[in-house]
Amino acid sequence: MKIIEWGVLIVNYLFLGGLSAGLFFVSAIATFLYKLDEPSPYTRIARLGALMAPWPVMIGCLLLIFDLGRWYHFYKLFLHLRLVSPMSIGSWLLVLFNLVALVNCYAWLTERQRNDLFAKLPRRLAFLGKFNYDIDHWRRRLAFAGMPISVGVGIYTGVLLGAVQSRPFWNTNLVAQLFLFSALSTGCAALILGLAGREQPVQEMKLLYGFDICFMVLEFFIVLPYLIHGQLSVQAVQDSLKLILGGPFTILFWVFFLGLGLLTPLVIELRELVPVVVSNREFHYNRILAATTALLILGGGFLLRYIFVYAGQMSAMQ
Amino acid sequence: MDRRKFLRFSAGGAAGAAIGASLAYMKPFSHSPEKEAGRLEVPTTCEACVNKCSVIAVVENGTIHKLNPNPENPKSRGMLCARGNAGLQQVYSPARLKRPLIRVGGRGEGNWRPASWDEAFDFAAKKLSETKDKYGPQGTLWSSSESFQEVFFRNLGAAFGSPNQVRHPTLCLASVNLAYSLTFGTVPSFDLLNSKYIIMSGANRLESFITPDTMDLIESAEYRKAKLIYLDPRFTVTASKADEWYPIRPGTDLAFLLAMLNVIVGENRYDKEFVANYTVGFDKLTEHVKAFSPDWAEKETEIPAKDIVRIAREFSDAAPRAVYYAGRRSSWYREDFHTRRAQAILNAIVGSWDREGGMVPNGKIALGEYLFLPWDDPIAPRVDEMDKNFPLAAKGDGAYLKLRENVIAGTPYPVKAWMIHKQDPMNALPGQARTLEMLQQMDFVGVVDVQMSDTAWYADVVFPESTYLERTDPVEVLSGIAPVVVYRQQVVKPVHDTKTTLEITQGLAKRLGLSQYFDFTMDQWVAAQVKELPLEAPLEYLKKHGVYVPPGFPKYGTTLNPDHRFITKSGKIELYSDRLQEANYDPLPVYHAPAQPPPGKFRIITGRRAYFTQANTTNNPWLNQFAPENSLWLNAAAADSLGIADGDRVEMTSTVGAVRLKTRVTQEIRPDCVFMLHGYGKKSKWQRLVAGTGGCDSELLETAWDKVSGNAALHETFVSVRKV
Amino acid sequence: MAARPKRYAMVVDSKKCINCKACVVACRAENSVPLAYSRPWMNEETRGVWPKLMAAFAPEQCHQCDHPACVRVCPTGASHHRPDGIVVVNEAECVGCRYCMIACPYDARFFREDKGVVEKCDFCVHRLERGQLPACVETCPSKVRVFGDLNDPKSKLAELLSDRQYRVKKPEAGTGPQIYYLI
Ligand SMILES: Nc1nc2c(c(=O)[nH]1)N[C@H]1C(S)=C(S)[C@@H](COP(=O)(O)OP(=O)(O)OC[C@H]3O[C@@H](n4cnc5c(=O)[nH]c(N)nc54)[C@H](O)[C@@H]3O)O[C@H]1N2
Ligand SMILES: Nc1nc2c(c(=O)[nH]1)N[C@H]1C(S)=C(S)[C@@H](COP(=O)(O)OP(=O)(O)OC[C@H]3O[C@@H](n4cnc5c(=O)[nH]c(N)nc54)[C@H](O)[C@@H]3O)O[C@H]1N2
Ligand code: SF4
Ligand code: SF4
Ligand code: SF4
Ligand code: SF4
Ligand code: SF4
Ligand SMILES: [Mo]
Repeated sequence: MKIIEWGVLIVNYLFLGGLSAGLFFVSAIATFLYKLDEPSPYTRIARLGALMAPWPVMIGCLLLIFDLGRWYHFYKLFLHLRLVSPMSIGSWLLVLFNLVALVNCYAWLTERQRNDLFAKLPRRLAFLGKFNYDIDHWRRRLAFAGMPISVGVGIYTGVLLGAVQSRPFWNTNLVAQLFLFSALSTGCAALILGLAGREQPVQEMKLLYGFDICFMVLEFFIVLPYLIHGQLSVQAVQDSLKLILGGPFTILFWVFFLGLGLLTPLVIELRELVPVVVSNREFHYNRILAATTALLILGGGFLLRYIFVYAGQMSAMQ
Repeated sequence: MDRRKFLRFSAGGAAGAAIGASLAYMKPFSHSPEKEAGRLEVPTTCEACVNKCSVIAVVENGTIHKLNPNPENPKSRGMLCARGNAGLQQVYSPARLKRPLIRVGGRGEGNWRPASWDEAFDFAAKKLSETKDKYGPQGTLWSSSESFQEVFFRNLGAAFGSPNQVRHPTLCLASVNLAYSLTFGTVPSFDLLNSKYIIMSGANRLESFITPDTMDLIESAEYRKAKLIYLDPRFTVTASKADEWYPIRPGTDLAFLLAMLNVIVGENRYDKEFVANYTVGFDKLTEHVKAFSPDWAEKETEIPAKDIVRIAREFSDAAPRAVYYAGRRSSWYREDFHTRRAQAILNAIVGSWDREGGMVPNGKIALGEYLFLPWDDPIAPRVDEMDKNFPLAAKGDGAYLKLRENVIAGTPYPVKAWMIHKQDPMNALPGQARTLEMLQQMDFVGVVDVQMSDTAWYADVVFPESTYLERTDPVEVLSGIAPVVVYRQQVVKPVHDTKTTLEITQGLAKRLGLSQYFDFTMDQWVAAQVKELPLEAPLEYLKKHGVYVPPGFPKYGTTLNPDHRFITKSGKIELYSDRLQEANYDPLPVYHAPAQPPPGKFRIITGRRAYFTQANTTNNPWLNQFAPENSLWLNAAAADSLGIADGDRVEMTSTVGAVRLKTRVTQEIRPDCVFMLHGYGKKSKWQRLVAGTGGCDSELLETAWDKVSGNAALHETFVSVRKV
Repeated sequence: MAARPKRYAMVVDSKKCINCKACVVACRAENSVPLAYSRPWMNEETRGVWPKLMAAFAPEQCHQCDHPACVRVCPTGASHHRPDGIVVVNEAECVGCRYCMIACPYDARFFREDKGVVEKCDFCVHRLERGQLPACVETCPSKVRVFGDLNDPKSKLAELLSDRQYRVKKPEAGTGPQIYYLI
């Protein structure tokens, strides 16, 4: 029988879901980092994050639906709420998240953008014009409400795999944490990439680098115990780790994920940020370097999910 | 699944309990066919192999949905093997024969033109008549393998006046049958279920199904703690379940047997009373076996002498619940007959005759006969000159390989038309090139089959028979320790434009002016047969049950009476056979060491798998999936020395052919043998799954036969193997 | 949970299995399973070096677990556990997400590309309803498979389990498998 049931569509779905969760989360935090009436560089982060957040996860959901054997039956996922099924909880969570992220996105539109948007409505939908409300004042409330949901989504992408006891490669609660921090760091990376083109986003970058370093350090310190824990675990788990310790995913894991996707960007960001913090040097913003770092992180995040989805399915109990 | 039923079923605890109660434990899984709209259960008989197991066909809305075993038959018990289950494909496979076909273009080119039945009959009748005019009726050959309607086909050949009928026994069990017949006057069955000690020489019962032996063997070996000693150059499934398995050197089973006789006679371990009362020639046997010591046999067989001695002792201790199983396919070696005779003698002297756990003469059930006009006996002698070549063998079955030699040579007279029924000589005979030669020299070849066999591929006319699930057949008695009567009744109407053998026979008979011999219907024939059964409404009974099990069996000891006359020359069990002596054969089994393959060559042996029947089910998709291609079993050490790895493609060459296939490098065969499955590398393109896939063993096997019975000797070929 | 009225299970007497595949074909016919898939499968193992060899065969299929992982993860409840212990997939409710396949420690499920749903052995519930044994059980030449109700102390199954030693596969998966392999 076929071993791999969940393929790249699911990998993408997990990646994009995490990405949105990260974007939302970082944007939400940024929302609280400035006084409301003062202009702040962090509004740029908050706005950009809010504007970007809904789209990846929506694409991801479409991919998920498309991956179903009978996509046109997807609504059945919403005829049930099964609290023991991570996928059932996740489906509802995603709907909630999508809603909040969309409303939040709307809340972050400038007035001009809003008006433009409604003006562009086709004639037949013109009646929607009456929904052209100004909900700017909801931003913090939405951020507050959405933060736990976004964390939930980030965790969920890991729990979906981690809850499967029969696949030793997954079966540890570290997977959920790993996916969460990876999600947050990809969110940061997407924002770094998004801001890289703008005029001297120095303050923003410092903040994003700072967050990103935290997320990546956490991620790294989860990968380590994941490996150690696995090695000390039962035979089946040890065997499953062979997939990355001396199997089809070894190079992908060590070189591309851990090396290029996690440690390299971590070192770059540390090199950029540490002197600024420790020796109070000036932050030299390098756009190319920032973009490269961000791309490496995004690539690493994707690979992490790829490796986990595939290797997990290939692992089996004895 | 029926959605409504499903809902009813899954409606929670209460419904579950209710259904549970109606099921009430497991015993009541004896199911009584209840009326369900559009659903019928029709008892009938399997024809996916020689065993004729009882089947209950489930028909849903006019289509056969499933074949279930019919537990009423004590021979097949409640079982249906993989092939029996896959029998559905015979009916619904797009690859089956759907209408009569007449060849256009050269033989084997595969160009066919659909014909009406009238056309096909006219054409065949014309050709047969032409042959008769030119060469006499003996210029026609009628060959067939066992089936319930074979009788009609054979009768047509006989009524036509041909002495030349040839059947499958000389490819299969002629030597074992003749050996037991000459010893006991009959071929007994073996009471494996009640046996305590069973020795088998390459009778691969757990893969080559014989009912009820296969089930009995598993039951007695695994549950009743019977001891199973198994001799086979291959590690078969039977070997894996045996208490002791000896990878005997091929062709030396007789040495093993003679050494066992040597021990048992020498140590006075035989059943003295039985020998005295029921046998002749024991003194000659005593002298004869002195020369065959276990040490000598060890050198021949590679079975340790101490094991031979121990087995001989254990065997005689367990007697009469001890049998050296006869086996079925004995188309092995040139000396096969003597090996089988030695088994019969061994079984006789320990008194394992007509007793529980021993050999038991088959029970009999009398059937009535439909009386038809008699025809004249053929005037010409048989083309295979049985009287001269195999004077003791069963004449009616012929000797296939000798026959083929003579037909090709045109001696003693030409045979130019060949009618073939339910047989595939292209695969069943060794030396396919010779079979093809024989086919090509025919002026006419007509084949009755259900699929485009390799033989049909070279025919002039192909008559599609309705499959066994589409027709009603004559009633048959399955002999055995517990004989039964089985009935094959039509389950569904023919799906395509096909006919039964009786109808085909009648169609031809009409055009050959022989209608007077076939002026009856199947119903009349069956009615006459069942009239004799001790049942009130026998036909209704058979229609309802599919099988009739007469009371009073098994019967042990019916022949255990010193006055009993065995159907032998002396009326006793003949350890020493005068008839063999008179016909210039060894009257006691004499061992002639078989040739062994020279270095670098291998003996090719053949055999079966549980999910294929002969060469003819490999194209069944439900079975083919278990072995889409055949491969050459090659011992790992031997492969190593040839530099051949598992999965390599190799070419095997014998003196008559060469075939290419993949290797299966394995521990499961002797280093001096190779093995491959039968039924691949087909010529018939209509057998899409196996046409040109894998290799065909018949192309490789050289022609050899057992000297006494004329049985084919399929294990006498040496091949060289070379990586390609 | 209250005592169930029924607990269907299967005992496999592997030593008797001759790897004839009758069960596989019977299931295919009975449940109209296309060629690309199979509900039951055979485990075959040959070990040793010529001529010291051993072979073992054993059929396997969905273990109708007591704590089925497939049921737990199923987002729609299409996979569910019947009161008689049989785990079934309600085709109508299945969205084809294949989560259950990934969760099953035995890989007992397959995805029907043609239907877009997941399928597995269901102990032939439709046959049980008629009072028939599962197709694979009925057809087996050597009666390797013994089907019955664990809660019925008089069943052959219960008798075998009390007289003989047995094991289940992957007990550490914690799913409570209900196919018992006699030793
Ligand atoms: N190399 C090799 N050769 C062998 C053997 C071997 O093991 N290896 N075994 C030998 C033995 S023991 C035997 S018994 C013979 C068997 O050899 P055959 O007697 O030729 O037997 P089958 O292969 O069963 O072929 C029978 C033909 O009957 C057809 N058939 C099936 N059902 C029906 C039906 O209902 N009606 C009609 N009209 N036709 C039907 C099949 O399609 C097939 O073409 O082969 C012998 N030859
Ligand atoms: N599944 C299935 N069952 C069948 C049939 C089928 O086609 N398929 N066909 C039926 C028919 S027609 C027949 S005749 C029977 C045949 O059934 P069997 O009589 O059991 O014959 P084979 O299966 O051909 O097995 C022959 C075995 O002998 C071994 N052998 C070869 N040479 C020697 C030797 O020198 N000494 C010893 N001791 N062993 C040797 C081979 O390795 C092989 O395993 O099966 C019947 N049952
Ligand atoms: S052994 Fe199998 S193929 Fe042969 S008659 Fe019985 S069920 Fe049919
Ligand atoms: S039908 Fe029975 S003997 Fe045959 S493979 Fe299946 S379990 Fe084994
Ligand atoms: S074996 Fe797998 S599919 Fe069957 S009940 Fe257990 S977990 Fe579910
Ligand atoms: S594939 Fe169907 S049965 Fe399996 S988890 Fe998804 S919805 Fe449930
Ligand atoms: S119980 Fe029924 S569905 Fe399950 S494997 Fe056996 S035949 Fe197939
Ligand atoms: Mo045979």
